[in-house]
Amino acid sequence: MLRPLPMKHVRLLVLTEDLPQASLTLAETESFHADTRPPTEDRLSGVPGRDYRELFQQARSRLEKIGKLVPLEAEPELREVRVVPEPELARINDWLGKVWNECSRYEEQFRALDDEERLVREQEAALANFADLNIDLGLLRSKTRFLDFYIGIVPRENLRQLEGAVGLASHILHIYMVRGEHAHVVIAGPAGTREAQLGSVLTAAGFQNLPIPPELNRQPEVIREELARRRAGIETERVALHKRLAEWSGSFTGRLHEAQQVLLLAEPFVTLDPSIRSAGYLASLSGWVPARAVAELETRLRQSLAHPFAAESRNPLPEERPLVPTVPVRNRLLQPFALLVKQYGIPQYGEVDPTPLFAVTFLLMFGTMFGDVGQGAVIAGLAWYFREKLGRLYLFGVLAGASSILFGFLFGSIFGYEHVLPALWMSPLHDPILMLKLALVWGVLFLAIACSLAIYNRAAIGNWSGAVFGHHGLINLIFYLALVWGGVRLGTSGEFGTWPALLVVGSLAALAVHGWRHLEAPVGEKVLVVFIETLETVIGYVSNTLSFLRVAAFSLNHVALAIAIFTLAGMMDTFGHILTIVLGNVFMIVLEGGIVMIQVLRLEFYEGFARYFSGDGHEFAPLRLRRAEKPRVADSG
Amino acid sequence: MSSAASQAYLNTRVSVMATRLFGPGVIAELAQQDLAQLAERFVLPSVLDEAVSVRARSRAVEQALIQTLLAELAILARPMAAGERALVLNWGRKYALFNLKTLIRGKLYDLDQKEIRENLYDLPPRVRVPDQELFRAENVLELLRQLERGPYSLIARQAREIFEQRREPFALEATIDQRYYAGLVRQVMQFHDDNLRPLQELVGALLDRVDLLWLLRFRFAYQLSPSETFYQLVPSFRLLHRERLLKLVNLESFERVLEALPPPLDRMMAGSTNLIEVQRRIGRHTCEEANRILRHSRSGVARALAYLILREIDLMALFSLIQGQLLGLPNDLVAIAIEVADASCPIGTLTAKAA
Repeated sequence: MLRPLPMKHVRLLVLTEDLPQASLTLAETESFHADTRPPTEDRLSGVPGRDYRELFQQARSRLEKIGKLVPLEAEPELREVRVVPEPELARINDWLGKVWNECSRYEEQFRALDDEERLVREQEAALANFADLNIDLGLLRSKTRFLDFYIGIVPRENLRQLEGAVGLASHILHIYMVRGEHAHVVIAGPAGTREAQLGSVLTAAGFQNLPIPPELNRQPEVIREELARRRAGIETERVALHKRLAEWSGSFTGRLHEAQQVLLLAEPFVTLDPSIRSAGYLASLSGWVPARAVAELETRLRQSLAHPFAAESRNPLPEERPLVPTVPVRNRLLQPFALLVKQYGIPQYGEVDPTPLFAVTFLLMFGTMFGDVGQGAVIAGLAWYFREKLGRLYLFGVLAGASSILFGFLFGSIFGYEHVLPALWMSPLHDPILMLKLALVWGVLFLAIACSLAIYNRAAIGNWSGAVFGHHGLINLIFYLALVWGGVRLGTSGEFGTWPALLVVGSLAALAVHGWRHLEAPVGEKVLVVFIETLETVIGYVSNTLSFLRVAAFSLNHVALAIAIFTLAGMMDTFGHILTIVLGNVFMIVLEGGIVMIQVLRLEFYEGFARYFSGDGHEFAPLRLRRAEKPRVADSG
Repeated sequence: MSSAASQAYLNTRVSVMATRLFGPGVIAELAQQDLAQLAERFVLPSVLDEAVSVRARSRAVEQALIQTLLAELAILARPMAAGERALVLNWGRKYALFNLKTLIRGKLYDLDQKEIRENLYDLPPRVRVPDQELFRAENVLELLRQLERGPYSLIARQAREIFEQRREPFALEATIDQRYYAGLVRQVMQFHDDNLRPLQELVGALLDRVDLLWLLRFRFAYQLSPSETFYQLVPSFRLLHRERLLKLVNLESFERVLEALPPPLDRMMAGSTNLIEVQRRIGRHTCEEANRILRHSRSGVARALAYLILREIDLMALFSLIQGQLLGLPNDLVAIAIEVADASCPIGTLTAKAA
C-alpha cells in the first residue's frame, strides 16, 4: 500500500488514419497518461490533427456559449463509443455556428433590454433629483439658438479629463449627482461650431444622453408613472423573450445533446494531439501506463484498430523518474487523508506514499489529544449530517470523531464528565507523568519511522550517499537512536553509557567529516559551518522529540478545560449549570478541536513530511472520456 | 525574503541585466552586419528560414524579441512586492493592448479568424489581457457584448457607436492607449515610499514624450480640435502637466507649440520642423531620463522599469534593422528608423498619410 503502483513507458506506432480510433480506445481504458516529450527521431516531426483540433475548439466554444442561454445536460450519457470523423465534426460545428448565430441575436436583445432598463433607472434617479428644483426644466429640453447643452451620465473615471476638454470648447461641466460608477452631469456652452467637436469627445468619454421629458416641469407624477410603466414593459418583454427562446430551443434540444456527445467522443483525440508526432502515414504517441494495465491496453488496441500497430513498453529510466506520474490512492477510507497529503504535494514516482501512515498516525494523535466519547460523537455526527456539503472530507470528520470516541472510552470521558463512564484505561490527569513519557516514546517512534522512510526513499532511487549521510539519513538515525538510548540510561541508571556515547560521537564525527568534504570554502568558514550544522543536528533532534510532548499536553489540557467548565457550572443554578455545560462543550469542540487539528497537522507536516516526503511528483491523469463512470485503474495496492 | 534583501537582489539583478543594453555605437555597428550575422549573434534562426514569407519571418523575429523582453520582465518582477510587480506587469501589458486593438479592428472589419490570429502576439499569461473570449466572438455585436462585460466596459460604448455609425476605429484605439497610460499614472500614485519620486520622474518622462507626440499628431496631422486632442492626452507628472496641456492644445501651429514648450523641451525641440525629428529628439530625452534613473536611483522598481524601457528601445531598433534588411529597404531609410541619422520627412507627408 505504501509503494507506488509500478508504471511502464508505452510507445505506440500507428497509422495516421487510425489515430482517432487509437485515442478513443486509450481513453476507454483510462490507463494512458500522455508523455508530451517529442520523439527522438527527427523524421517524426509532423503534427497531425491540427484541423480537427481547430474544428473541435470552435465547436466546443460555440456549444459553451449556447449553453449560457439554452440549458444543456451537465454530463450527458454516452450511448455508444465511436470515432468521430472530421467531416462529421465539421458538420456539427457548422450547425452549432448557425444555432449560435441565432442565440447571439437573443443575447443582443437581452442586452438591449438591460441597457434600456439601466437608462430608465438613471432617468428615475434624475427625476427624483429635479423634483425639488424651482426652475422651468422645460427650457432644458431642447437646444436654443444661443445655448448648447447636454444632460446625461458619464463614467466617473472620465470626468476630470472631460471637464478640461469641454472647457476648451467653451462649455462648462456641472456634476449634479453621483450614482455608483456614473456621474450625472449637465454640460452647457454657447451654440456654434464647436458642437461637432464636443460630440466626439462625449462619445470617447462614454457619455449617455438622458432626455428630459416635456411634462417634467408640470406633471412629475405623470413622468414617474410613465417610467414605471416602461420598466414594467421591459420586464414583460424580457419574459416574452425568454419564452420565445425556450420555444425555439426546444425544437433542437435532442440535436444539441447529440452535438454534446459528439464533442465528448472527439475530445480524447484533441487532448492527445500535443503528444502526437507523425511522419507521413506513421504516427507516434507515447505515455505512461500502470504495468498491470499494459496487456489489456494492447489487447483493446488490437481489437479496435483496423491496421497493424507497434507497441513497445519498458520500465521508466532513472532519469525519467520525475516525469512518471503517480497513481493516487483510491481506497475510500484513505481518500480524505489523501486530500490533505495533496495540500503538501504529490509523491514522486518511487517515493513512499505517506497517505496510509498519515491516516493512522493522525487518528491516533487526534484521539489522544481530544479523547471524549460525547464530543467525538458530535464531530462524527455533524460530519455525517453535512456529508453532502463536505464531499469526500466528511469521512475525515467521521473517522476523527470515531478516534475521539475510542480514546474517550479509554480515558472514561463523555462531554467532559470523568466519572460517568468507567475508563477502560485511565484519565490522563490521573498520571500526567506517564502520559508525558508515552508522548516522548511516541515521538521517538514517529521520528525513527520518518527517518527510515527518508532512507528508503533515497535508496529506492539509487541515492546511496543521501541515504547514508544526507539529512535524516542512516547516520542521523544511528545518532538519534544512540542519543535516545543514552538518554534512557541517564534517566534510569544515572549514566549515559559508553556505547551510546561512542555511537553519538562517532555518528556526529561522520556527519562532520562528510560535511567538511563536501564544502568548498576557506578553512575558517568550513569550521564554522560544520560546527553549526553538527550543533543543529543535536538541537534539532532533541527539540523535535520534545515537540511531541504536546500530544500529552493537549490530552491533559482537555481534561483541565473540562474541570474548569464544571467548576464554573457548579457555581450556577440548574439552568445556568446546564447552559454552561452545553456552551462549554461547544467551546471545547470548536476551539480546542480546531487547535488540536492544527497541532496534529503541524506534527505530521513538519516533523514527518519534511523529513521524508519531497511531494514534487505529479498525479496520474489518464486520457478518458468525460462521463460519469468509475475509473478502470484499480487502487494502488 | 525580507524587503531589504529583495531590494538588494532586485538592484543586483537590474545591474547585471543592464550590461545587455547596447552601448554607444552598437546599433551603428549592427547596421553594418548582414542578416546571417545578426541571426547568429541574437539567436534568431527564424530570420534565415527561407521556406516562409518575408512577412512571416519578420513577424517571427518581432515575436521572439518581445518574448525576450517579457521573459526579462518576468525575471525582474519575481522578487518585487505586489504593488511594484503590478506596475511593471502593467507596463508590459502594452503588447496585450496591441492584441486587443487587432481583435477589435479585425472584428469590426469582419476579417477572417485565421488572419486575425496571425496578427496576434503570443504573450505569457501574466501579461495577457483576457482576450480569448474576445477572440472567440464570431461577430461584432458579440465582441461588443464581451467588451461590455469585461475590464474594457468603459470603451465598449464608444466601440458600439463606431460600429453603428461605421466610423474609423482610430479614436477607440487612442482611448485604449489613453486608458493604458492613465492606469500607469494611477499605479504610480499608489506608492507612498521612496519609490514614488523616481517612478514619477520615469513615468513622467514617458508621458512627456507620449503627450508631445500625440498632441502634435492629433492637432496638426489629424486636424483634431483642441478639446478632442486634450481628451486623449494623459497629464504628466513632470513637464507637460494638465494646465500646460490645456494651453498647448489651444495653439494653432506646430511651431508655436514647440516654442511654448517648457524648458528643457523648448531648447531640445528648437528648430524641429517635422514630427519624426520631434520624435527622435524627445525619444533621446526619454532615454537619457531612463538612463539617469537606471544609473543613479536607489529604487529597485524604478531601475527595473527604466531598464525595461531602454531594453525595449534597443530590441525595437534591432527589429527595425532586421526588418529593413528583410524588406530590402535602402540603408539610409533603415538608418532613420533606428535613429542614427537625421530625419528630413516634412510634416506635410504625415498629414497626407493620415488623411
